[in-house]
Amino acid sequence: MNDENTVRLDRMRYTKNATASGLALLAILFDVIFFISIYESNVGSWYYNFLMGASILYNLVFLLAAFLCSEGIKNYKIGYAWAMIVLGVGQLARIFIYPVKAHAATVTIQEQAVTVMETPQFIRCVLWLSLSAACLFAGAWVGMTRSKQLKAHLKSLGLAA
Amino acid sequence: MAQLNVQHVDKIYDNNVQAVFDFNLDVKDGELIVLVGPSGCGKSTTLRMIAGLEDISAGHLLLDGKDITQTPAKDRDMAMVFQNYALYGHMTIYENMAFSLTLRKENPNVIHKKVLAAAEILGLTSQLNKKPSQLSGGQRQRVAMGRSIVRNPKVFLFDEPLSNLDAKLRGATRREILLLHKRLQATMLYVTHDQTEALTLADRIVCMSMGHVQQVGTPLELYDAPANKFVASFIGLPPMNFFDATVREGYLEGKGFKAALSEEEKGILLPYAGKEIELGVRPEDVQEGTEIALNVFSNENLGMNTLVHGHIGDNNRISAKLRGWYDYKAGDNVNVAFARKHFFDKESGVAIGKGAKA
Repeated sequence: MNDENTVRLDRMRYTKNATASGLALLAILFDVIFFISIYESNVGSWYYNFLMGASILYNLVFLLAAFLCSEGIKNYKIGYAWAMIVLGVGQLARIFIYPVKAHAATVTIQEQAVTVMETPQFIRCVLWLSLSAACLFAGAWVGMTRSKQLKAHLKSLGLAA
Repeated sequence: MAQLNVQHVDKIYDNNVQAVFDFNLDVKDGELIVLVGPSGCGKSTTLRMIAGLEDISAGHLLLDGKDITQTPAKDRDMAMVFQNYALYGHMTIYENMAFSLTLRKENPNVIHKKVLAAAEILGLTSQLNKKPSQLSGGQRQRVAMGRSIVRNPKVFLFDEPLSNLDAKLRGATRREILLLHKRLQATMLYVTHDQTEALTLADRIVCMSMGHVQQVGTPLELYDAPANKFVASFIGLPPMNFFDATVREGYLEGKGFKAALSEEEKGILLPYAGKEIELGVRPEDVQEGTEIALNVFSNENLGMNTLVHGHIGDNNRISAKLRGWYDYKAGDNVNVAFARKHFFDKESGVAIGKGAKA
């Protein structure tokens, strides 16, 4: 086992996939920032109230799922990489729900027309969700690659089917 | 590999209590030195001073000729194994063993090779993904040793590493340490209060009492020719029997016994003619004979040997390790003789001559 690449692969038998796991945690962080950002909106109708409420509910689900993925991918479980991709797609899809629908829309609050989400806030929200999705995709890619490498290495050692 | 010189080292605490007095020791390259003594004798303090965990109040510490008296612990290139293992519970065995090298920011591939090599030596390869809580005490202690091995230090320091283990495991781990020493040929200092550990492990033993070095020598030297009464009583199990005796013409006379002296013993005791000395006899040197009547009060069968406790004369307590299986009852009289005697000065406790065979 003198070949550096073989040693690197063998290291994975005893070390966690910290990179993939860290990326999943970073995705959670960006999601939380997004979560905070949407509160700046001027919600003046049941429709936007509903959208924001749904977003909050989804956030809870996302936090739990992303954390589980972070733990799973840490142990080179390839299934969690697929789950991260699904979550990443979900984050991108969210851009087209609350931020896009609220952007530049107007509502009447105390007989005055106000904008639900101004452009700067919209850009920030899109940015946070995009970064969160990017982290999930990157984490999934790292997780998937390393899981496959580890599996092949274990197979070469006769330790896996 | 390293040579360690401890020169005139004292330890005086802030409250003016002196724990170690003028400690001198030259440890050769690859030697396994065991510091042995009762609790509070200063052996752990000495080890901690060598490790850099305690300040040295006076004296010098040299590693390969370089004075490291004031060098911080982290820069001394020594690894210490503690009694309580000091493992990180949230880390795997692999991570625990790799930890010190990770802190030094060594190449992960190099760390991996070192950890695997150490695990192989210690038989821990199959345990590397487990947490310390999933291992037995002996395995945890091996992990602690492994953590030292990966660092490849100049000196290994062991502070009573087997004290937390049960008797069986202690024996097995002791043998592993011995094999490890043979394999690594490393300089090791080992602290214990268990004289069996000291006798079985050491190249040389440093016997300490009350902060003073009592004797430095090979296990056989300490057993065969103890420098004083303390070493004689501390080394050997069961401990040596001691009797007050007066040196007479050709024999020793004590309360309830007369023991003949050989020509060699007569020569040794010539300056003490007519004076009182202390006679020391190891239980295994008490044999069946005709010289002395031993009045039995208890009998312990150990398999190959029988440990007989009793007294000679009115109140001279004695333990005898007789070869074979005996079933003596309390009150029985057994005739014994002293196959080998040790003599100590009554006042100073210093050995007179060397223990001579009868």
